[in-house]
Amino acid sequence: MSDSARADDGHAGSPTKQGVGARLERKEDDRLLRGRGQYVGDIRLPGMREVAFVRSPVAHAVVGRIDIPDGRRSDVFVGRDLADVEPILCVAGLPGFKAASQPVLAVDRVLHVGMAVAMCVGDTRAQAEDLAEALAVDYRELDVVHDVRKAREPGATLLHGSWGDNLLLTSDLVVGDVDAVARSAPVSVELELRTARQCMSPMEGRGVLAAWDSRMDQLVVHTSSQVPHLVRAGLARFLGLEEGRIRVIAPDVGGGFGYKSILAPEEVCIAWLAMKLRHPVRWLEDRREQLTAGANCREHHYRIRAHADRAGRLLAFDVEADVDSGAYSVYPFTGALEAGQLPSMLPGPYDFGSYRCRSRAVVTNKVPIVPYRGVARPGACIALELTIDAIARAVGREPYAVRLDNLVPPQAMPFDNITGKHFDGGDYPASVRRAVDAIDLAGVRVRQARGESDGRLIGAGFAFFNEQGSVGTSAYAKWGLPLCPGHEQAKVRLMPDGMLEVAVGIQSHGQGLETSLAQIAHEVLGVPVDRIRVVHGDTALTPYSIGTWGSRSMVMGGGAVARACRALAGRLARIGAHALGVPEGAVRVRGGEVATGDGRAVTIDEVARLWYLRPQELPPDVDPGGLEVTGGYRAARDSGTFSYATHAVVVAIDPETGQVEILDYAIDEDAGVCVNPMIVEGQIVGGTVQGIGTALYEEMAFSEEGQPLASTFLDYILPGATEVPPMRLAHVETPSPYTEFGVKGIGESGAIGSPAAILNAINDALKPLGAVIAECPATPRRVLAAIDEARNRAGRPV
Amino acid sequence: MKPIRLTVNGKPVSAVVEPRQHLGDFLREHLLLTATHLGCEQGVCGACTVLVDGVPVRSCIVYAVACDGADVRTLEGLEEDEVVTQLRAAMSRHHGLQCGFCTPGMMMTARDIVTRLPDADEKRVREELSGNLCRCTGYVGIVDAIRDVQEQRKSRRGAP
Repeated sequence: MSDSARADDGHAGSPTKQGVGARLERKEDDRLLRGRGQYVGDIRLPGMREVAFVRSPVAHAVVGRIDIPDGRRSDVFVGRDLADVEPILCVAGLPGFKAASQPVLAVDRVLHVGMAVAMCVGDTRAQAEDLAEALAVDYRELDVVHDVRKAREPGATLLHGSWGDNLLLTSDLVVGDVDAVARSAPVSVELELRTARQCMSPMEGRGVLAAWDSRMDQLVVHTSSQVPHLVRAGLARFLGLEEGRIRVIAPDVGGGFGYKSILAPEEVCIAWLAMKLRHPVRWLEDRREQLTAGANCREHHYRIRAHADRAGRLLAFDVEADVDSGAYSVYPFTGALEAGQLPSMLPGPYDFGSYRCRSRAVVTNKVPIVPYRGVARPGACIALELTIDAIARAVGREPYAVRLDNLVPPQAMPFDNITGKHFDGGDYPASVRRAVDAIDLAGVRVRQARGESDGRLIGAGFAFFNEQGSVGTSAYAKWGLPLCPGHEQAKVRLMPDGMLEVAVGIQSHGQGLETSLAQIAHEVLGVPVDRIRVVHGDTALTPYSIGTWGSRSMVMGGGAVARACRALAGRLARIGAHALGVPEGAVRVRGGEVATGDGRAVTIDEVARLWYLRPQELPPDVDPGGLEVTGGYRAARDSGTFSYATHAVVVAIDPETGQVEILDYAIDEDAGVCVNPMIVEGQIVGGTVQGIGTALYEEMAFSEEGQPLASTFLDYILPGATEVPPMRLAHVETPSPYTEFGVKGIGESGAIGSPAAILNAINDALKPLGAVIAECPATPRRVLAAIDEARNRAGRPV
Repeated sequence: MKPIRLTVNGKPVSAVVEPRQHLGDFLREHLLLTATHLGCEQGVCGACTVLVDGVPVRSCIVYAVACDGADVRTLEGLEEDEVVTQLRAAMSRHHGLQCGFCTPGMMMTARDIVTRLPDADEKRVREELSGNLCRCTGYVGIVDAIRDVQEQRKSRRGAP
């Protein structure tokens, strides 16, 4: 982090070093460092019993007889017991979208390994598991569709018979005449790429604890979730309850990354059970469940043709993309989200004239896909950035130079690209140039020419991307999903002693929002950060929100906090001016005071005392709403912020073992204005390391029977401390013209660029052998296979 | 069911436990010591690391009955520990935690590295940390925090 270009001090205009731009230590750290966080598994309620799920061991079957041990029928619940629960049905309004209902417990069929078939209740988790093991379920197995190619073959087994095929969505986009360009283009490249199915693997799995509160006549559900308000909406719909009779609490949440951005079938099951049994019930997902029943993201297949001129200037980009969507559509995003986003996403940051994309969401007998950090962007970045490198190889130029020639130039900003995305600013080529210097590409080229004494091959790779974050109403409205981002709201209230409470409907599960939102409130009002409490994760205490995902919380939640605090400042000003005996226009709220230009002031604490304790001294026209304000925010232009970055990587590959080692890693990033640069860096680095996992380690392989082949962290490999290279991060700051303070969404960024950059570095290293990796993770076995294939192609002995 | 007597965070504890219950569940469910987190229950992720007779162990793969007579210490029992106090400050300063779920296990391992290997270089620190998984931070802040505390203690040791 030594290269950070940002000064380590407060933002301009901030009277203290706690506001926007301050590298403040996090308010949430102390409780977490003492082990006093409160995750779902840490919460116990009187009379609570525990639940274990019986899950399908096969990928596609008709469920037959379920034998329950004698005397335990009252502790076992199967699909037909939940007849009053509606199956999860999530429909997108996109043309051609096909819907399929997902029963929360299987009724007649199971469509993937890990689908819940029964739930078993015990006094302890171990006893619930004992009961689950004692159930005997009869499965009549059906043909399994284990990958997208098989799913699209004529005569393939259909997952949802009425559909007529296995296509959940087909999304086409055509701009210009690609075929005409293809006929005349001097350079054409073809690629076929594949990314593995992954498990997001937050360190805390899912957990749900539900109870009926008879005093409030309300179902209370504690759940490890990024989206408590959306969980409430989903529970209301599928349980047939009014939303006001459900309270969802997401307490401390041990990581999300998208895994917890949906309504999980288990949330519906446990909520139903609490109402049925009238005592608290809890389910804690174990790691085996998470890995086998939760391998739910990232699996893309691409067939690409790209056409360029002799200098590598991209003329046309022609892509067929298949997304393995799994068996159903999750609520509220559906299984079409990635395939539906890809057509507009794939052209990335480049400016070219002709484009064609056919993208399909294909159903298979696997867990339904859930949006993982970056959603479709990491796959799109791999597709595009590996294409740019293939063009560079074809025309014999440096890949970075080909990028420079194709990127949208700074003088064209803001820029509307070929698919209508509105890039909000920045200097893309300058970022690439800085990254080239940061990893000393010239030095790498010298070293490559010289060769390594240990026989390893060195390679340098780059990926450039921009990330559309915090996408708003205009983009989401056309999807017709059960959610649409509108105005985000925050509620602020000043207590009688001057403490400020900020309540938001977004949820913080590692992003440090308890700190950065307090910094925004401080920026506006000047109340010290340790006198500000941020409340989140509870539908009873916070305004409605679609939650924390899509790199939206700082733009939207932060914007809402700023607006609410400004509205509060207006009310404080009127009271303060009256107390000072001056007109309202003569005062400003800053630094925790209502102050005149000539140095007279009353503190915000004093204004609070006036409102609560000495109302007789208030001005006659005081705002009767008092010192509690709900403020709402929508970006001036809601087409999304566009942070961008170059990832630059140097790798060494052992051609005998196929081992890849990352020698150097540099990121050049424009995140707009950073509210807390330390937190932003943490997001970027953390995301990048997840991308290292995508590139090199993480894969849930499936057998032809649809069996997930990893079930522990020994065979599903997450990057550990030894797999992480030294990383250098450089910020530049182009404020967004459309958001409060100029902030941009950044939470997903790191995970987007890293896989492509690493794959490009590997291919650069393998170039002398004529070998190319087209699949991730680039495991030693795949690297060796690529080398062998190149040698065979060259007719040389292996 | 089997009776056991052990010391947890300096206090004597006696209990009757199922032979199959692991130490992590015993600490969390019997003693309500929830700082010890269960991340995988497969002995891989290290979130449940505690000290048994002064040595870091994964409490999810140690049976409670095997700890009969042992001295067990969890993060709750190290509130006043000098190294843990230094680590808390350093972890916050270097942003060594995000969601906080792996953090208690990280703190136990970090304390072990600082006390057992005061001169370990970064490479060794990373190797020693390889039994603790973090999904949020990319380990950068954690490694920096450990190195920081090592340096603080070294400069104090070296002071006249």
